[in-house]
Amino acid sequence: MKAQAQQLQHDLAKIMRRFGRQCRGQSKVFVSLVRQTETQLLTNGSPVVGLARAAQAQVQSATHLAEEQRTRLVTQLTVALAAPAQITTQSRRLTQGKSLSQCKIVNAYDPTIAPICKGKSNCPTQFGRKPGIIAEPATGFIFAVQLPVGNPSDASYVVPLVDKVQTALAHVTTRPTPAIHSVAGDLALNDPTVRDILHSRGILTVGISRTVAPLSPSPSPEEIRQMLTEAGLTQKRTPHQVQLACAAGYSRPVVESIIASLLGRGAARLTYKGQRGALVQVGMAVLAHTAATVQRIHQDRLSKRAHKFRRLLRLKHHKTNEFKVSKN
Amino acid sequence: MRLLRHLQHWLTGHGLQIAVADFVPETHPIRQWADTFPWTALVAAVERSFAQRFPTPTARGRAPVATRVVLALELLKHELHCSDEQICSQLRTDLAVMYACGVTEVQADRAQGHFVLPEVLAQFRSRIDAALMEELLALQAAAAIEQGVVSPAHLVVDTFPSEQGSQRVNDAATLYKAKKKSSRSSPPSPSTARSGARR
Repeated sequence: MKAQAQQLQHDLAKIMRRFGRQCRGQSKVFVSLVRQTETQLLTNGSPVVGLARAAQAQVQSATHLAEEQRTRLVTQLTVALAAPAQITTQSRRLTQGKSLSQCKIVNAYDPTIAPICKGKSNCPTQFGRKPGIIAEPATGFIFAVQLPVGNPSDASYVVPLVDKVQTALAHVTTRPTPAIHSVAGDLALNDPTVRDILHSRGILTVGISRTVAPLSPSPSPEEIRQMLTEAGLTQKRTPHQVQLACAAGYSRPVVESIIASLLGRGAARLTYKGQRGALVQVGMAVLAHTAATVQRIHQDRLSKRAHKFRRLLRLKHHKTNEFKVSKN
Repeated sequence: MRLLRHLQHWLTGHGLQIAVADFVPETHPIRQWADTFPWTALVAAVERSFAQRFPTPTARGRAPVATRVVLALELLKHELHCSDEQICSQLRTDLAVMYACGVTEVQADRAQGHFVLPEVLAQFRSRIDAALMEELLALQAAAAIEQGVVSPAHLVVDTFPSEQGSQRVNDAATLYKAKKKSSRSSPPSPSTARSGARR
């Protein structure tokens, strides 16, 4: 079986070498040549699955290996066996000239990575992940982070993020327990289903843009009454809370500053492997950023807007000299 | 030998004894940053999760490197933008890093090359899962709310792109860039040149 596997590897490498030679010096990639090579690779590489299955059966019956080692190898082979089916389906569609809609595989070793069609219009599409954050706009304190597999719509991040914040609020022991009054976001979050879910939880959505026009930061009393009636929250939320929600509406510069801080703490390029690794890296970057934000609040290094919000929300004003006692 | 290399030498060193908290100024950024974390809750959560998922079959053997130290190192790595090797090296020489890692007193030999090996940090990281990460974030947020530092009343949601690994420049990207460059450097059309001359 080892000889068979080596022969197969050699044949596949030979096909790829030939493809490289034919393209060299041409300054372009020939579509017909790509399709031709793809077909050859699929035909010649078909015994891979059979060999992997045989190897898996042998590993399971190998008594000289330790139980842990056997389990690890079987798991690795099971994961590897799932990959060819996905890759073959994608390759066959491409060789037939059909476009792929969603969930393209860009890395054979990690199918959770997806193309990021976001943020840049002047360069080739990057591939990676799209973390979502839920933060306090005044200070930039991040409450939770969401890192789904692939590249789903932005609206699908809202409910899981709100759930995570509510889980965090369950850890708070002080009374009264704080609640979420409003959620803001850009036009990508403008989804009626998301709005309905948030309204049913007593959360205002006036900060989520409906059009490209900027949100009004100070609506009239009539407009406030209309917003409360539309959301069906006349009993749950006060006009003052609506005013604050409008003032804390989506602002690109505010969000950009939070994202820039995260990118500076290593969230720009994920070097830890796999979905779990990416989650650990982004999570640690968020923890470090949040600690820096609390440090900034303690030192009173905040913008005028943040100061105003904190006053309206009746949050504590920390003095710099409160740092005298070590908390270690 | 492998176990000995992981030993926490600062507890048994013979060098000069230094009280870390007395040495690091209260205004030092790393000290202030480290003081914001609810360490007790975070360490308890990590230890609880590890004990459930990776139970120790026996109590024999040397005690592992403290969770407080490796957790702080992982966080400092992101805050100071270091590699595993760099942050482990800083722990040996930088008293502010020692303070952030919860080391109260240090008594190391000059010959001692390291306190924590980068491999230990990588091993610790490999044990963290999604549920634990979420719990750590929730605990930090809850601590800040309890202190009255922040309020979850009004929130904003957004996403940002994050590249995976070092993205190799492939043929398609090279050709795309080359095309853009050539279009920029192409000579102006006769009509544009004429209008420019009139000006």
